Amino acid sequence: MILLKPGLYLITSFIALLVLAVPFFLVQASAPFWASAGIMVLTGTEWFPYEMLFGMLPAIIGSTWAILIALFIAIPCGVATAIVTTELVSSSLASATRMGMEVLAAIPSIVYGLIGLWLLLPLLQASFDLLSGHSLLAAGLILALMILPLITLMSMDALKLVSSTQREAGMSLGLSWEALLFRVLLPQAWPAIRGGILLAMGRALGETMAVMLVVGSLDRMPEPIMNVLQPAQTLTSRIGREIGEAAFGSIHFSALMACGLLLALIGLSISLFAHTRVVKA
Amino acid sequence: MMFWKALRQYRVKGLLILISLPALVLPTISLVYILWQGLPALNWQTLSGEGVTGFGLEHGMFGQIWGSLLLMLGANVLAAPAALGLALFFNLYANDNTQRTIFTLLHLLQSIPPIVYGLFGLFVFVHLLHLGISLLAGMIILAMIILPLLVLNALHALKAISVEQTESARSLGLNDMQLICRVWAPLAWPTMLTGQLLGMARALSETAPILFTATVFSGVLWPSSIFEPVTTLQTHIFYLAQEGGNAHVVSIAWGAATLLIALVLLFSLTALFLRRIDQHHRIS
Repeated sequence: MILLKPGLYLITSFIALLVLAVPFFLVQASAPFWASAGIMVLTGTEWFPYEMLFGMLPAIIGSTWAILIALFIAIPCGVATAIVTTELVSSSLASATRMGMEVLAAIPSIVYGLIGLWLLLPLLQASFDLLSGHSLLAAGLILALMILPLITLMSMDALKLVSSTQREAGMSLGLSWEALLFRVLLPQAWPAIRGGILLAMGRALGETMAVMLVVGSLDRMPEPIMNVLQPAQTLTSRIGREIGEAAFGSIHFSALMACGLLLALIGLSISLFAHTRVVKA
Repeated sequence: MMFWKALRQYRVKGLLILISLPALVLPTISLVYILWQGLPALNWQTLSGEGVTGFGLEHGMFGQIWGSLLLMLGANVLAAPAALGLALFFNLYANDNTQRTIFTLLHLLQSIPPIVYGLFGLFVFVHLLHLGISLLAGMIILAMIILPLLVLNALHALKAISVEQTESARSLGLNDMQLICRVWAPLAWPTMLTGQLLGMARALSETAPILFTATVFSGVLWPSSIFEPVTTLQTHIFYLAQEGGNAHVVSIAWGAATLLIALVLLFSLTALFLRRIDQHHRIS
């Protein structure tokens, strides 16, 4: 009893210390890189660690494209699935879909990588007549599959939470099914659905293994910039591919830590954005 | 005419069903495809490695299963008391401001990608603290990754306890320790257990953070201490998947993937089952 309060304080302060340690050591580890290369590397287009060229832009653009493709596919599909399962079909089919989505969400990312590498890449190679199929499109597609359950489940919960009085008021006004959906249900559920989308964005940003296996890990700018059918690189796949060969203490190691710091900052800002919007709503 | 009228009437519904079709069929397709590729590769020979050579296959898969389970258990053993402690602190001693700060911090922690924790661990545990590429480093990193999930779940479990119960316990003169052991624990344990199982599933499925901090390709069968590296199912799949020229090796990767999914689903489906029972229990 006497030990409970100090014990809990100790645990809490230990966790707080750990939380502070993550950004501190990331900054410390990447400091040599920022000092030697400067902030302008963010817009550099060449990444050749052995010639001390550390342009970050190709990987940033790669990450952006992969996330955009994934969201472009997963948002309509996920939200439509949520609408169909909560509003149209029987509850047993709805719970079967929910079960399927939960299973899909539980599959480890490395297994998605395996599916991407040995099922998706040959398909892409055949249908677009590519050299190997390794491309940002493949990364985007596999990410779409990975974030689909997240968006679907969050949207299903959001639609279910719209109160039945709202629903009944809409019906008693004689609204058509479409009007009820677009004027009552979706606007009510939108804040939670948006939360789900932002969560999915964060997940897609940080996903490493699956992306690493299908993206091709070729560090150069897409030519032209809209070309998503070439092998490319994302921030996470760069870290995963190169951290094993970067010697501790070298500028290369420090540069990869800087990539990690960048990832953490982007993830944190997505989360902060979601947080402030939810608090306001 | 009838056709066009029907089309006009049902176009929104039809379109929605059309867009949602992938989500309705993809879970089944993915799972069936994995099992179709993986089940034929799972036999005693690949599991034990008898009569197989090369690519680290000669040791079979038991060592890797053991490595995965060790990392998972270690991470959960490290994270569980910390999560419980923080959740109790949140409910017993934190004021409104502190509670809000803790909540925001947990969400922020959750938004940092796992590979960044891997980098942090590589820098601090592997190099600065000289743990080397070891089981312990992997355990700590995975514990950090599942910590927010466990704390949020524990907070959820404690929040579900009605204020009346806590207050009547207080009015009977129970102190903090008695309140926790006699009132909160019996009410909250099903949800806590669910969270722990989800934490285990999560720790089993993370690959990137342990790839360069805790695991090696082969050469270690049974780690003799927590300061040695291990082989795990997750990283083994990664290495085998890239042996494109050898169909046999890739098929073993599918077999390992099937095993991994079976393990993960064992934990996550049990958790979901428990949650459903708990909800039914509460409603009735």
